[in-house]
Amino acid sequence: MKLLKSVGLALLAASIALGSVPGARAAEDTVKVGVLHSLSGTMAISETSLRDVLLFTFDEINKSGGVMGKKIEPVVVDGASDWPLFAEKAKQLLEQDKVAAIFGCWTSVSRKSVLPVVEQANGLLFYPVQYEGEEMSKNIIYTAEAVNQQATPAVDYCLAQGKKKFYLLGSDYVYPQTTNLVLLEYLLSKGVPIENIGGGLKKDEAGNVISAGKYTPFGHTDYQQIVSEIKQFAAGGNAVIINTLNGDTNVPFFKEYAAAGLNAEDCPVVSFSISEDEFRGLPAKDLVGQLGCWTYFQSIASPANKKFVTNFKKWLQTTKETGIVKENRVTCSPMVLSYNGVYLWKKAVEQAKSFEVEKVVAALEKGISFDGPGGTVTSQKNHHVTKNVYIGETKADGQFKILKSYKGVAGEPFLKGTFKAKVAAK
Amino acid sequence: MPLLSFNEGAGFIPCLFSLLEKRGTICMKLSHSIIRLLIAGCLSVAAIADDTPRATIAKAVLMTEDAEEQARLVSSLAATGSEETGKLLSLWRQGGIFIHDLPDETQVAITLEGNADEEGRQRALRVDDGKPLLDASGQPVLLVAADLVTADTDSNLRRAMNSVLDLLALSTPDVAARKNAVTKLGMSQKLERLEDLKTRQAKETNADVKLALEEAIALVQLKSKDALVQAAAARKLGDMKSMMSKDFLLALDKEARAAQPANTEISAAVTEALAKIETHTKWVNFYGTLFRGVSLGSVLLVVAIGLAITFGLMGVINMAHGELIAVGAYATYMVHNLFGAGLSLSPFGWSVWIPGLNAGGALYDAYFIVALPVAFLSAALVGIALERGIIQFLYRRPLESLLATWGVSLVLQQLFKLIFGSNNVQVYSPQWLSGSWTVMDVSFGWNRLFVIGFAVAIIIATWLLLTKTSLGLLIRAVMQNRQMAACMGVRTERVNMLTFGFGSGLAGLAGAFLSQIGNVGPSLGQNYIVEAFMTVVVGGVGSLAGTVISAMGIGVIDQALQQILLNPVLGKILVLGAIILFLQWRPAGMFVTQSRSLDN
Repeated sequence: MKLLKSVGLALLAASIALGSVPGARAAEDTVKVGVLHSLSGTMAISETSLRDVLLFTFDEINKSGGVMGKKIEPVVVDGASDWPLFAEKAKQLLEQDKVAAIFGCWTSVSRKSVLPVVEQANGLLFYPVQYEGEEMSKNIIYTAEAVNQQATPAVDYCLAQGKKKFYLLGSDYVYPQTTNLVLLEYLLSKGVPIENIGGGLKKDEAGNVISAGKYTPFGHTDYQQIVSEIKQFAAGGNAVIINTLNGDTNVPFFKEYAAAGLNAEDCPVVSFSISEDEFRGLPAKDLVGQLGCWTYFQSIASPANKKFVTNFKKWLQTTKETGIVKENRVTCSPMVLSYNGVYLWKKAVEQAKSFEVEKVVAALEKGISFDGPGGTVTSQKNHHVTKNVYIGETKADGQFKILKSYKGVAGEPFLKGTFKAKVAAK
Repeated sequence: MPLLSFNEGAGFIPCLFSLLEKRGTICMKLSHSIIRLLIAGCLSVAAIADDTPRATIAKAVLMTEDAEEQARLVSSLAATGSEETGKLLSLWRQGGIFIHDLPDETQVAITLEGNADEEGRQRALRVDDGKPLLDASGQPVLLVAADLVTADTDSNLRRAMNSVLDLLALSTPDVAARKNAVTKLGMSQKLERLEDLKTRQAKETNADVKLALEEAIALVQLKSKDALVQAAAARKLGDMKSMMSKDFLLALDKEARAAQPANTEISAAVTEALAKIETHTKWVNFYGTLFRGVSLGSVLLVVAIGLAITFGLMGVINMAHGELIAVGAYATYMVHNLFGAGLSLSPFGWSVWIPGLNAGGALYDAYFIVALPVAFLSAALVGIALERGIIQFLYRRPLESLLATWGVSLVLQQLFKLIFGSNNVQVYSPQWLSGSWTVMDVSFGWNRLFVIGFAVAIIIATWLLLTKTSLGLLIRAVMQNRQMAACMGVRTERVNMLTFGFGSGLAGLAGAFLSQIGNVGPSLGQNYIVEAFMTVVVGGVGSLAGTVISAMGIGVIDQALQQILLNPVLGKILVLGAIILFLQWRPAGMFVTQSRSLDN
């Protein structure tokens, strides 16, 4: 019995030793990072592209020596377009896999559900998609476009073009609602009279505007009435539509818009949620001449961007990862902001000489710069990122012709009330 | 006020030229002869000054780095331009001007002319002087259009081009283009254009354009220095019920009130005019809403008519009805691509490429006509397979058929994803379905008029089939009493199959139409299934007339609520609430059908 027991113990010990030694060695050479995107459900169409670009970035970094000599080991989890699940998966990444950083989330609601988790476990999340602001967590780095890096420059551009009337139209959720409220204040501060802002205003009992613009639910199919209202709104000329409709609801809207005889030269549409990647599912030909505003376009003619696009396409063809669409791929702003996020993290880690969240965040707050495909980006003290803003016009091939660029725009999350205050100060 | 106008969606001039382009040779010959004429003209001028219209255009084309300067140069053509300038600008707009790199690393703007040789090469003409581009040995350079860099334009530049073209267009022989030019000039409110407009008015013979001219002149006169002229112009616009002048009148009113002393004469005229326009707008909105309601009702009817047969007549709760609609839409997509650039599918991981006809013009536009029967047949076949495979075993068990068809709907959605990918696919509308027709400021979209006609045609065809054919007689017999019909020797199995196939085919037709106004994707059916059931239930299960009336009712009420509340979400909630209340009051719908089979 004793013999048996000791043999058993020895075997157990050996198996533990065998099992743990490679594990220990792996832990020395690699650093785990989390990728938290929806790979199934309604958001999968958009978010899988970000997963792809992240894997590409990790490969690129690993090939050139990794982060502080350690290879990046991605842990990819599926948020499944289910917001509470995002929180659970974030918890799993932080507590079980002990990842050094998480790259992920697309919708604001998924970010909001992950936020308490990363704050509690003191994790680090890089968030890459244009959003409405009014948020600043010590554990989140917003590489995304803040409202003043997308919406207000677009309005500036329209005003410079002599546009006088603005019609606000969006899908009914937090991003369009908040963005349009900020835009309303911004337009008023620029001297646009309130009757020249279309779509309708909703006020609370105290008379404060709580919602500006026209909103339709996801999957709305009938835009006849809205388009006829826009047509009357735009009859006098110099009108522009600020469009925050999401995803494929844009199709019935743009079809109705064209059928009503509206066109990009008389009444252009500036869309904030249509990037090159979305054009894979939209009829680009129907949108020719309409405007977009992002901090990156695939058509940017810089050598850095050309290299990025070529390398990404090459990687798509050679990668052994499963489930990656290889045909007709494009690059777009959320993808490049994900890419930038990884490099900013790498540089911050190398500067802090540590993977510890506090030290990395401290380095990022001091200001880390990276020359990305869309130009130089610099992290700010307020966890947002300074970057270039581009206005582009849609071409028939789903790419943008760049019309105007604003260099080095600093991200500013808290905008509500600031324009009003500025006007009052004057 | 425009009484009657054809609106083609985009500006008319590009349309005209794209039409010309389709008749490529005509256009080429035309530009050829004009260019030849100009060579002679330009030769003498070009030597003295380098800012002939042609040289200016060439200069602007090459300024690819400075969009503002491009626009400025183009605007300067308003003073110097001729008809030929307009041609070149239009050519530039549609991508007919190219930037060619010369061997000495300078660039030159060129156009291509003449018939292409076997290799697709055409003779290059310099834009700046209209002469052929010569190589080092003095031979004309031959180039292929597809290899060249097209000179891009942006909205700003196109707007500058437009204003130049507008001035040139004031004298164009084409009525619609002329009218468009007049309206745009009116909206620009530039006093310096007033004389141009008046000169044109004296010469104008077309009634439509005359009206537009009157409106435009009044609009420009609102900016006059003379208060009396302004007031008269405001009254004039009021009498014309000019909707587009509303903003301009409001601006004038503000100005008049702000002036010291306030100009009451103008204010009074403006208030009077605005009241007239407001009344007119109310009528426009009323008729517009009615039309939009009927068109939405027709969409609902087209979507629900198939269900009215399979659910209403046969009593099968077919949750896969939406996916049958999607089958029709995907069939339209396939026909669309076969007429166009070809179809690439990847069913179950295999890549399949079917080359397309690459048709253009009228033949391409005819794809939709071909797509209709294809959509009907493919959805009918899927429907028949569904009936033979599953539903025939479940005729007496509605709950099981509900669950089974729901499962089928999920399977079909995944199949669409596997075959066509999970992204939406793109279907472009043919030319004759885009654009609209405007009467008294109410615009009727061609696609909306089409769906109304389409719904009427489907209803009449269904009614004829059910009441005037022997198959219809059998269908009605079987639906009223299956056992009795079987006793009389009717092959009820076959009748069931054909009826279900017919209902499914109608769903396919709905899909073909929906591809013209919305998305084609795996979840297309899900967006319409609830509305389809709602329409049939409200109308009364088993009654075609009920379905028609309920579709129209829901459509008009929905649009009216949207118009009144100006809120699409609230409107929809109210409609659904009303339907629930209505069904509480009349659970069997508007028209109750007495039938033994339904009682079972």
